[in-house]
Amino acid sequence: MLIGAPILQLFIFGYAVTLDIKHIQMVVADRDRSCESRELVGSFLRSGYFDLRGRVDSPADLDRPLEAGEALVGLYVPQDFSKRLARGEPAPVQLVIDGTDMNSAGVAGGYAAALIAHYAAAGGPAPPLTHQPRIWYNPGLRSMNYMVPAVICMILGTVMTAVTAMAVVRERETGTLEQLVVTPIRPAELMLAKTLPFAGIGMLDVALVIVLARYWFGVGLAGSLLLLLASSAIFLLTTLGLGLFISTLSRTQQQAMLTAFFVLMPSVILSGFLFPIENMPQVIQWLTYLIPLRYFVEIVRGIFLQGSGVAILWPQLTALIALGGTIFALSAARFQKRLG
Amino acid sequence: MTAPAIEVSGLTKRFGDFTAVESVSFEVAAGEVFGLLGPNGAGKSTIIRMLCGILLPSGGEGRVGGHSVSREPEAVRARIGYMSQRFSLYLDLTAEENLEFYGGIYGVAPERLRARMEWAVEMTGLRGQLMRLAGELPAGWRQRLALCCALLHEPEVVFLDEPTAGVDPISRRRFWDVIYDLATAGVTSLVTTHYMDEAERCDRLALIYDGRLIALDRPQEMKAAPRAEVVVEVECDDPGRALAALGEAPDVRHARLHGARLHAHVARSEQAPARVREALAGAGVRCSRASIVEPTMEDVFVSLVREAEEQR
Amino acid sequence: MSAGRLLALADKEMRHLLRDPRSLGVALLLPVVLLVLYGYAINFDLKQIPLAVYDPDRSRESRDLVESLTRGEHFRLAAVLAGPGEAEAALQRRQVKVALILPEKFAADLAAGRATSVQTLVSGADSLTASISLSYLEAMLQDWWVRRGPAASGGSLEFRRVSPQVRIWYNEDLASVNFIIPGLVVVILMMLAALLTSQTVVREREQGTIEGLVVSPVTGSEVVLGKLLPYVGVALADVALVAAAGALLFHVPMRGDALLLLALTLVYLCAALGAGMLISVHTGSQQVAFMLAFVGTLLPTILLTGFVFPVSSMPKALQMMVQLHPATHFMVIVRAVALKGVGLGVLWPRALALAALAAALLGASIKGFKKTL
Repeated sequence: MLIGAPILQLFIFGYAVTLDIKHIQMVVADRDRSCESRELVGSFLRSGYFDLRGRVDSPADLDRPLEAGEALVGLYVPQDFSKRLARGEPAPVQLVIDGTDMNSAGVAGGYAAALIAHYAAAGGPAPPLTHQPRIWYNPGLRSMNYMVPAVICMILGTVMTAVTAMAVVRERETGTLEQLVVTPIRPAELMLAKTLPFAGIGMLDVALVIVLARYWFGVGLAGSLLLLLASSAIFLLTTLGLGLFISTLSRTQQQAMLTAFFVLMPSVILSGFLFPIENMPQVIQWLTYLIPLRYFVEIVRGIFLQGSGVAILWPQLTALIALGGTIFALSAARFQKRLG
Repeated sequence: MTAPAIEVSGLTKRFGDFTAVESVSFEVAAGEVFGLLGPNGAGKSTIIRMLCGILLPSGGEGRVGGHSVSREPEAVRARIGYMSQRFSLYLDLTAEENLEFYGGIYGVAPERLRARMEWAVEMTGLRGQLMRLAGELPAGWRQRLALCCALLHEPEVVFLDEPTAGVDPISRRRFWDVIYDLATAGVTSLVTTHYMDEAERCDRLALIYDGRLIALDRPQEMKAAPRAEVVVEVECDDPGRALAALGEAPDVRHARLHGARLHAHVARSEQAPARVREALAGAGVRCSRASIVEPTMEDVFVSLVREAEEQR
Repeated sequence: MSAGRLLALADKEMRHLLRDPRSLGVALLLPVVLLVLYGYAINFDLKQIPLAVYDPDRSRESRDLVESLTRGEHFRLAAVLAGPGEAEAALQRRQVKVALILPEKFAADLAAGRATSVQTLVSGADSLTASISLSYLEAMLQDWWVRRGPAASGGSLEFRRVSPQVRIWYNEDLASVNFIIPGLVVVILMMLAALLTSQTVVREREQGTIEGLVVSPVTGSEVVLGKLLPYVGVALADVALVAAAGALLFHVPMRGDALLLLALTLVYLCAALGAGMLISVHTGSQQVAFMLAFVGTLLPTILLTGFVFPVSSMPKALQMMVQLHPATHFMVIVRAVALKGVGLGVLWPRALALAALAAALLGASIKGFKKTL
């Protein structure tokens, strides 16, 4: 279970997550139906960005598909489009975009503007003003490259913590923890014994994900494998320590679960794995400095995509070690009190 | 002649390759206190679960209160009470809440439930403890509470699976008093146990070993039945060495410690005590007494098990 | 189905909840806390993206272009580069997110009608922001071109004077709050509901009390529904708190019928709770139940159901699969009712799908609760 889940996640998210917005559903109301209007509409459909969802007769009919969420964009070419072009007058075309999803809206708007501009300058040999983007580190802007590192972080950062917490609490519930306490085993040894199996599984997961990423998804590791494994181990220190800490706060497994959830949810969303930290309000940005996952995401992405080494990543690594050490120390203190 | 409360014939349960219960048959009359005795893992709990309709038999038939456990499990469930090994109490609910819950799911009408809860409190001495969380009650109280929960709906038949596990002897005694009261009132009880002393308190006993029924009778008859061997009880100064010595002795089929004494199972003969003394003397053990005694339930059980194994 | 037994089960479940105030508190407060936290934290409005520019031409046209790009709220001029080679360093230092490199003979090329191009450099490490930045740039570049191109090329090129009029509907400011908050509500409710109910049956299995239930006359539907009822109450309280927060703190509009949304929320809750229940019925330990609920709801709900990434952009096979997830439909419903003000007339297919999923999940849970072990 602990091994299958990450693999499953990797598969789903590797394939599903796409930041490339294509196949934008469009409805067209072409009242002109001239060569020119057909050429304009055609250029939209040939671009590969827009799919024709349907044609309607009047601009009023554009409402319904957009309301129902069947189309994102509506294009209205008025009746006098070609006539105005012929007379050299400005020929308006109307584009309505569903702004609910502002990302898709923005991107759709960008594509549309480009297509219209190309159409406008169609007199020349090639559109004179073109835009050449060069993208570094992730040239295809392959979401895969972006998300695979994220999956590693998610596995280690979330499930591990909760499961550790629940496992320890379960032993407390069933009374087996008491049995261990009466043995000569020392609290530190007991803590280690409880967490090491999960650490092992976690590292195994990481290794599996890296292998799968490389050989199935083609996401290669630009940087050092050793550094990645070492960072994972350090990060595990924090997550498992957190799990232990949570277990000292909980009497029942249900409590452990909800407490873990309470702690994990913010750290997942605020970690920067999906939503940029720079955009967050200052106060929340300061909060994220306390979240170990934030540093781990930066480290993992850095190693995977940019081949960064210790020279660049040392601030994050230091932060992780510091946080990990503190959490573990706190857990140890509480654990001792609970047992003794 | 009224129909038996419980009828079991050829009851079998297989889990894959493993046969947990093999062709067990017996009958229990209404108002009887019937015991299933056997070591852990012998199949007692499996039998009870089949009779409660929780486990589907692989073969054979079981009828409780006149209904088939395989074909009419819901009818069976409405008529029986069940106390599981783990007592089935909700530890984070109070005693009262537990009682109310079980009354509710067995459909006991509210007014009747009040009366039944009164009865339960009286019988078990739980007055004053009702507001305590079940998890905070000591084991003896919890056991009684669990029994009450099983009896709220006045079932005809009660199945008790290791009901006295982990409970102090005084509570155990009280518990059995309750069982007898129930029997007098006509409630049939089927109890599983691995405590030999409890077994002796049953009206009739079925010995289960390795999934099979190896004996079925009243406890007294089991003990009195002529066997191929007798039990010689030995008091001596060095039980450890005595045990080892008896283990080597040719006539002694089996020897074990019985408290501070020893019980040796020897081939039936009047010379049995003398042979035992010989064996002990040979090992240099001073023996103060060696005489034939009536076998305890444990002795009977050990003999029967050995016989069953030899027959195989 | 006996009402008496059902009530006894629901009553017991409620008492379990009340006996654990910490869990109850978390269950009630967590959603609203999360909503507030994320509502303020998650912000897709890419504003003031720092831009570095290398402009060797320094003509009127090139300056006009740069000015039009940085005048709005999307980009701000963070650095002027002395040479194209400096762009990489600026990006690595994270001083800027985008570097713009104009050609040396920009104005002259335009005037002569020669093809010319503008280079932009973006760091793909943060691909979400990168792709959005690029589309903004593209749009603004072409917009400039359509407006200024005819003048800049001095009539050497033919132009078709198409003038695009773009209208944004439903979320005119393209405010990400209006997109994110409704989506967050869907996500948070799904996760919490599934998590809570995932423990119910399996806890009894672990503690051994399930035998007492199985032996009694209760039926599978009584158990499942009885356990469900208190959580419906908790979830509805959550919904109220979360809706209030969304409206009061984030001013998310509610243009449609609130009662319709409430009714559909109830259906959604049944689906989410049913999912958790289904997990609970089939697992042997609370840990596994938790993992299944968490892994099955957290990442899929965030990444696959249209919360951030549009479903229509996914591979077809995956698109079909996510239709089986209740959150996919409810995501559309919430946004449509709140932002577009549409009603059942438009949304009935989604509502139907949601109801079917809820019934299926609950039905499967009931079937799964076997009275024979």
